[in-house]
Amino acid sequence: MKIVGVAACTVGIAHTYIAQEKLENAGKKAGHDISVETQGTIGTENELTQQQIAEADIVIIAADVKIAGRERFEGKRIIQVPTEIAVKSPNKLLEKAVEVVNQKESLK
Amino acid sequence: MDNNGLYRIYVNCELTSKEDVYTFMSDVVCQDDLAQKEVVVNQFNQREKAGSTLIADHVMLPHIESNHIKNSHIIVIRLAKPILSWDEETKDIRLVMGILLKEHENVEIKKKIAMFTRSLAHEDYLNRLLTISERDTFYQALKKF
Repeated sequence: MKIVGVAACTVGIAHTYIAQEKLENAGKKAGHDISVETQGTIGTENELTQQQIAEADIVIIAADVKIAGRERFEGKRIIQVPTEIAVKSPNKLLEKAVEVVNQKESLK
Repeated sequence: MDNNGLYRIYVNCELTSKEDVYTFMSDVVCQDDLAQKEVVVNQFNQREKAGSTLIADHVMLPHIESNHIKNSHIIVIRLAKPILSWDEETKDIRLVMGILLKEHENVEIKKKIAMFTRSLAHEDYLNRLLTISERDTFYQALKKF
């Protein structure tokens, strides 16, 4: 499955980067193609390309603040959670993403 | 205690509550300025209201950005005894890593801190920090970032 994501927290120095790392590690371990953009105190890093977004089956937004560029995901299936969820339960969050994509596929 | 640039590392620290920890960290960064200490403690409490800073079992990562901090620090505290009740929901805390970011800090320092926080996503690494008994080994494990 192709997954893109954005991580952003209030201070932008802690949860943002842990959430990114946890989601990417858990996603790769589960065999997904995953890329997570961070919007932290340093600015935007690992910025998602239009192609990555276009090809993604689902978008995971792990954020405690309003993210920049949300309009890029218009028309995509989105799961939005606080960063805490991505930090504490990345595997469960990815399982939920798979479930959502599968539900969408079965409705086609 | 070990002082080295960005890091302040304390092992076998006799702190028994969240309040003790926040006061201790404010002492480290504000030294004798009582008014600033109070502000820093309040900022930690405000941040915690926005969401838990528990990042794994037994590990807290309180963090603030403040114009009351002269130099950014990562304050690592390995507790002598677990804090059994950090708050109503958070129990048995053994390791606290406080990030105190100076407002308008330069990007290089921010990148160093971000590299450190990314490392905390790895369970094996956190488990090592929780279980290493040798003081020097603990310091080395932290300073590789």
